[in-house]
Amino acid sequence: MAAMRNTAQDEITYMRPVSNCAGCGDTKVSWSVYEGMKRFNREHELKGRKRYQVVYVADRGCGNLQGYHAYHIVDAIFCMGTGAIVGEGIKESCSEKQIVVTASGDGGYNFNLSGSKFAAKNKKWGAINIIYNNYNIRMTGGQIPLETDFDKEGAAMGFEVIHINPYRVADNAELFKGLVDRYLKKDKVMVVADGVCVLDMRREAASVGLKLGLFSKSEECLDLKFAQERQRVARDEPEKLKELPRFKCRLCGIGLRCQALLNNDPGLCFGCGACAQFPCPVGALSFEGRSYAISTDITELIKT
Amino acid sequence: MDKDGVFNLGRVRLSGNQSIVRGALEAGVRVTTAYPGAPISDLQGSFEQLAGNLPRTNPFTLKVGEALDQVGYQLSAHWGTTTNEDNAMGLALGAVICKGDFKKREFLSEDEWNLVYGDTVFAEDLEKRIPVGSRVMCSFKHLGGNTAADALRVAVNVLPYTGSLGIASGDDRQGTSSQTMQDNKVLYAFHFRIPTLELHSPSTSHITVKNCYSLFEELGVPFVVVMNYDLSYREVSSDLRMEVDLGANMRRKAFTKDPKHLVTIGPHIRPREKKVLSSLIPLFKKKIKENFEFLGNKVIIYGSEPRAILLLNGPFQEDFQLVKHDQALRDRLVSKFDEVLVVESPLVFPQPDALYEELVSKYPIKQIFVFEEGYGKVIYLQLLDLVNRKGLDVKVFDCSIPYEPRIYERFSYIDHILAP
Repeated sequence: MAAMRNTAQDEITYMRPVSNCAGCGDTKVSWSVYEGMKRFNREHELKGRKRYQVVYVADRGCGNLQGYHAYHIVDAIFCMGTGAIVGEGIKESCSEKQIVVTASGDGGYNFNLSGSKFAAKNKKWGAINIIYNNYNIRMTGGQIPLETDFDKEGAAMGFEVIHINPYRVADNAELFKGLVDRYLKKDKVMVVADGVCVLDMRREAASVGLKLGLFSKSEECLDLKFAQERQRVARDEPEKLKELPRFKCRLCGIGLRCQALLNNDPGLCFGCGACAQFPCPVGALSFEGRSYAISTDITELIKT
Repeated sequence: MDKDGVFNLGRVRLSGNQSIVRGALEAGVRVTTAYPGAPISDLQGSFEQLAGNLPRTNPFTLKVGEALDQVGYQLSAHWGTTTNEDNAMGLALGAVICKGDFKKREFLSEDEWNLVYGDTVFAEDLEKRIPVGSRVMCSFKHLGGNTAADALRVAVNVLPYTGSLGIASGDDRQGTSSQTMQDNKVLYAFHFRIPTLELHSPSTSHITVKNCYSLFEELGVPFVVVMNYDLSYREVSSDLRMEVDLGANMRRKAFTKDPKHLVTIGPHIRPREKKVLSSLIPLFKKKIKENFEFLGNKVIIYGSEPRAILLLNGPFQEDFQLVKHDQALRDRLVSKFDEVLVVESPLVFPQPDALYEELVSKYPIKQIFVFEEGYGKVIYLQLLDLVNRKGLDVKVFDCSIPYEPRIYERFSYIDHILAP
């Protein structure tokens, strides 16, 4: 059924700010999931009601909460550890055209291993379970999470485990496009996103004298054009300022959930390199230099 | 059998657990999840057999299974595979939040509909229909309520999307097969604040369960049916004439995106918590009062000027049926209470305040005696609160027993009610 307009009003109150760093590995996967779905529909020439749709069911955790708060990519978040099992429940009652993708941090994964196990063993449906490998990412407070051997554990449960570099967003979109096909064939895949903590990595890179790259936007960028137009109207026709449309492109910043791109501020850029693979509609986005999209290993990066 | 889902399957012995299964099937339940544990294992065990996951081994599942197979009844059952009660509840939550279809309103007025559904994505539905999907049942033993509490608490945060969810709790209030005794009415009524009923007979439980699905689905709230140990296992001979709601069973499936309800973050849940307390629970009370008999409750007056109310819940309600057929017991009733108004009620929470106010104003009631089983005194405390809040000139007496007496204690509920 088509969703109708949501008339619920946001509470006017303090919103808990979930502010992941630009470049945080937890924030790069969702774009690839949705882009993969689009590519799947395009490849199979599915339009209108024939199109498949992602239902993005998440566990609690900064990556997913930020995904909802700032970017509205998440469809359901319940309590800690329930992402995988609630996703299985949704599969029981959702349309055949809806592909349920679950996303958990490794905290949620460890909190409820048996929920993931259920997803792996349930023969009725396929499964795409994304795990943000937060062992490499210093979450709120910088705690060190439980080390997890996803390869052994995932395989033991019945998943095929695929590790991805979350910064290679176009490659990952291609991967997810293929996973939709496999989901429909009831395959069980656990995608482990091995991101890095960009704060740690920046210190580490600096300690070995490694300089990371930066993004840049050409004048073709629709955001920049919009900003220029806004400046012109403010200067020449200030009475029309209020009439100026609120449109901004912001596709790269929203898609990659990146504050540096949203604000067009290289000062906020950690050099993760996710934007190197982002398909800017006007080709205005580029990335020069080394980045984690090449490797998340400093030793390897130095060699490049 | 006919095409409308009416089956006459002859006479069959039914346990309390099977009676709940019967009620759920008649309501058209499509998804069942559970984690096994005495005394409620064979509730989901029956679903497993009916869904084809286990061989059908008893007359109930053999007869009902064959009938349901013939009409293409859709049933999905997940039992021990869920590994614990929290996962069983999580699975149930996922299945119940998908609202891919609509049904016409039966119980709600337009204004009441606005209150329940007015801030969802369905708010602009011109006919103000009820968004519906799979009816779901989740069952576990009493201690399972503790394990499932994390997920179950969220079910309240995402009202009205969890309407259509029925929870069956098998209480072991005597520690017969568990590490501890527990009165789960405290958990469901006072902690989760969801409609809770204590079933009392394998002969009638199915009607209460089926009607709970009808009413509470429309109110957009899950409900709980609680059974004590005895009722779970006790069998009675029943005429198995089932009226299965095939329309509810075969509803359209779809997940409708409404993240402002289904993403549970502070700014979303805080206003909803306020709404539950200030608006929805009063609405539930109102609708329960309007549909009091529909949910299996009865008000019977013995005499013309009753001065006391006997509120009989659970096993007390069942044993009180003896009074209707035994003159000696009836004499004892009159001797002890004189003229009396008896409320036979499976309802535990929320109590319909307005009904008791009406009864107290209509009759010269001075005393209310509450008979319930379990240490929680859930009904007693609600009525005590009502009397204090409204300043009624009535005394409320707690006549509960704190645990379920073992069979060898030869406890008689009717003797407890009529004790001099």
